[in-house]
Amino acid sequence: MPTRSTPILSLLTEDLLIQVNEKLVQDSDRKKWRLICKEFHRVDSLARKTLRVLHVEFLLTLLKNYTNLHTLDLSVCPRIEDGTISLLLHHVDHSIWARNLKCLNLSRANGLKFAGLEMLVGACKGLESVDVSYCCGFGDREAAAISGCEGLRELRMDKCLGVGDVGLAKIVVGCGRLERLSLKWCMEISDLGVELLCKKCLELKFLDVSYLKVTSESLRSIASLPKLEDLAMVGCPYVNDVGLQFLEIGCPSLQKIDVARCDCVSSSGLSSLIGGHSGLLHIDAGHCFSEVSPTIVKCIQKLKNLNTIIIDGIQVSDTIFQTISSNCNSLIEIGLSKCEGVTNMGIIKLVSGCVNLKIINLTCCRSIADAAISAIANSCRNLLCLKLESCNMITGKSLEQLGLHCLLLEVLDLTDCCGINDRGLERLYRCSRILCLKLGLCTNISDKGLFYIASSCPELQELDLYRCQNIGDDGLAALSSGCKKLRKLNLSYCVEVTDKGTKSLGYLEELSDLELRGLDKITSVGLTALVTGCKRLIYLDLKHCEKIDDSGFQALAYYSRNLRQLNLSYCAITDMTLCMLMGNMTRLQDVDLVHLTNVTVEGFELVLRTCCFRIKKINIHTV
Amino acid sequence: MSSENPSFTDFNLQQRQKQRQKWEDAMISPPFGGFNQASESGYLLLSNPNNQTKILDHQEDGKSTGTLGSNKVQDWDPRAMLSNLSFLEEKIHHLQDLVHLFVGHKGSGLGGQDQLITQQQQFLITADLTSIIVQLISTTGSLLPSVKHTLSADIPNGQLGGHPFPPMAGMNCSPQPQNGGGSKVSDQSSKMDVAGDCGAGQSHFIEEHETKEEEDADEGEYLPPGSYDILQLEKEEILAPHSHFCTICGKGFKRDANLRMHMRGHGDEYKTPAALAKPTKESSSDPVVIKRYSCPFSGCKRNKDHKKFQPLKSILCVKNHYKRTHCDKSYTCSRCHTKKFSVMADLKTHEKHCGKDKWLCSCGTTFSRKDKLFGHIALFQGHTPAIPVEETRGPAVLSDKMDGKEASNKGRKHKFQLWLSCCRKWG
Repeated sequence: MPTRSTPILSLLTEDLLIQVNEKLVQDSDRKKWRLICKEFHRVDSLARKTLRVLHVEFLLTLLKNYTNLHTLDLSVCPRIEDGTISLLLHHVDHSIWARNLKCLNLSRANGLKFAGLEMLVGACKGLESVDVSYCCGFGDREAAAISGCEGLRELRMDKCLGVGDVGLAKIVVGCGRLERLSLKWCMEISDLGVELLCKKCLELKFLDVSYLKVTSESLRSIASLPKLEDLAMVGCPYVNDVGLQFLEIGCPSLQKIDVARCDCVSSSGLSSLIGGHSGLLHIDAGHCFSEVSPTIVKCIQKLKNLNTIIIDGIQVSDTIFQTISSNCNSLIEIGLSKCEGVTNMGIIKLVSGCVNLKIINLTCCRSIADAAISAIANSCRNLLCLKLESCNMITGKSLEQLGLHCLLLEVLDLTDCCGINDRGLERLYRCSRILCLKLGLCTNISDKGLFYIASSCPELQELDLYRCQNIGDDGLAALSSGCKKLRKLNLSYCVEVTDKGTKSLGYLEELSDLELRGLDKITSVGLTALVTGCKRLIYLDLKHCEKIDDSGFQALAYYSRNLRQLNLSYCAITDMTLCMLMGNMTRLQDVDLVHLTNVTVEGFELVLRTCCFRIKKINIHTV
Repeated sequence: MSSENPSFTDFNLQQRQKQRQKWEDAMISPPFGGFNQASESGYLLLSNPNNQTKILDHQEDGKSTGTLGSNKVQDWDPRAMLSNLSFLEEKIHHLQDLVHLFVGHKGSGLGGQDQLITQQQQFLITADLTSIIVQLISTTGSLLPSVKHTLSADIPNGQLGGHPFPPMAGMNCSPQPQNGGGSKVSDQSSKMDVAGDCGAGQSHFIEEHETKEEEDADEGEYLPPGSYDILQLEKEEILAPHSHFCTICGKGFKRDANLRMHMRGHGDEYKTPAALAKPTKESSSDPVVIKRYSCPFSGCKRNKDHKKFQPLKSILCVKNHYKRTHCDKSYTCSRCHTKKFSVMADLKTHEKHCGKDKWLCSCGTTFSRKDKLFGHIALFQGHTPAIPVEETRGPAVLSDKMDGKEASNKGRKHKFQLWLSCCRKWG
């Protein structure tokens, strides 16, 4: 082998190889590269910048190989603990990986405590971005450990429930150069912490204080941030118009504002904010107040650069659409979910001016009919995403127009649009870029419709067929041959599906999320065929699949080692198999075991003993 | 008095406030007391100055509106100066007349009452003299540029210069602009970079000031000896659990109603329905004799026989002073069991903070309140809040780990067996 490969390698120097390697985007391509020869493998190790580890067992070996990592993602191997870190760092040679590391994702790494974090932060001197979101046990001491990263620019702490003002104070004093900070759901943080933050971290560009119990006082402090561009404060129940008035005169660089679900904010508060910032690009005011007032409409006239406006759940009239249409020509996204008063006329007016719209959300705008969708399709040729859930008046005509004009469409949500049938789906044949298609509760769709989808949407990654009762095995066979890139599939309550159907699903190698609720024709044979094929399954829902017996679950236990979330409620699994399953699935985090009639209390006890040290959420309820 | 003068050039806020208070005390109380005393004792001549001040009042009104109209600070107003000087001249004349009268009175003599009268005479004269001195200083002061600046900032212009001592108006007016000035200053300071902490420090100072006022804040007060009545309560009276005290004889009562009943014994003026009714607000026109209190403990600085006697302002001050200084500290804090107090209120104040989370900074400074700690951290570079070491955490984690290991071992064993059986099944 070496003698043969020499000529190529003598031509391709290492730096050339690295350049070629960097062009590879897909993981599967990189894998092929690595398998070519040792030299290629070595080059890949040198060139690799990002690593997402699934199994903590391999971490040591992987970090030994990849020494030039910039990004390390440990968010999907939650079993990482303080001991793991000390092991990784104290194998002297192997702490090289830590030196170049810039981004570290520790999301959901609940096992990590301050000692481990301290070691990690001490070793990774160059860290610029850290994500510790959803570490619910994360507290002030852990925050203190993070504060050792002096050069930190980005920090996500979503739902770090234990972090309070003291922890935040530690971080803002230690990491004065923070530019992006998310404190979403850090419920202990109060005005005091935010005030200190705004005094110490003057470089902040993005701040998320969503769901905090902060008041307008915090906004007074936030208004003093000179570089803030993006402020998210979703669901802050104590913030009111006074706070928005502080923002009106502060934050000179503000571009994005999200005040969705702030109950005390009224349209006058929002209009005062808009009045102070005519350069706003993004406004999200969903579910804030009941009605769009004339003052808001007046303010919106000044927002010539507006890209995004989301006013979910607010009563609107045609005047606002007229205003937006004639003033905000660069609008890209509009969210009108659950808005009362959205009419065909309004939408026609809107799209007559805003021809650059790419994302339109009309969820639950029930009076929307084909006329509006035709207008959208005719005007917005760059449309990427259209959500029409529960727009019952939509028919195949709309899809025809979309199929004719919106060739870039990627996301189409037709959930609960009972006017959609197989012929409608046929008309979408030119929308070959669709990635996500939702057809839940569209009961008029049959296998024929799936044939059309399979033949016209080769890129499809997500398909929702919830309660499409006319779907059968033939449709799934077509899907599995046409949509090879499918990752998420919902077949819950498509009761006609049998083992044959699941067997064909086994050919979808990329499939990671699969819901098969209530499919009572599936047996162990079907499940076995499925899991032998779909090695990447992460989420599997088998609730009420009552025909499957132990042999199917044993196959599941054997093959689906990557499962993270599993629902076996109302299944016929017995003690032994359940224990085996739970012992074998080392990556399982969340499992539902409700109403397992064949499992005894002793069985459950054993199950819990087997998996309690790694499972994060378990739902057990026996009658 | 002369020592007060330079203080106006001092721009230190706290000092200035203190000094200003001194200034005001000195400025207002003596003439006030003087006039009241005079009207009470019914001297004929003293109705004259009253009239005159009224006339002056008018003059001053006219002038102040004039200045408001021109909206210009008087740099040097010879007319105002002239009126000041003529007022001073008149005042000195009155004083002269008064002393003449006293001389004449003494000749007639009235035996037993003689001593009391002499005391009152002395008091009147000192009071008038003081007011003259104050007036003189303020007139001089208006000529000095730096002093004038402070004065005009503190007190509406022309008031001090043009109208020396309006008996009531001065009392009512001057505190208001003073408050305004104070808040303005704090506003400005909070706009500066030091921001909140300066403001916090100031408010803290005010807080302290208030609590101190009970006993110590009158340290700077200057009352000429004899310009007030001294009352000395007996030890038993002080320690009695009373909270309402007679301002005349010092007897204590548990209820204000009882005190009002008692007051009837001190004269007919207390028998009117108005006096017996619940006092809503002390009407400012009532004659008020300045009362100061002496501590019964001989040798104490607060005892009237002390060389540098400093009187106590109120009966409450007497009570607290006496308990704090001359009594056993019988109340012990139930939390820390070390701090002792003789005044119940002090204990309660302490207990509010004792044992509570001490907010500790990395520099070692402790704070009783979180916001104070955060203010401190905001001010100093590199300071962070210290996180207390959790004692309970260690062992709990340990035991957890043990459990986990045990379970995992068991699980693994079991899993292995199951797996074997499974393999056999599948062949």
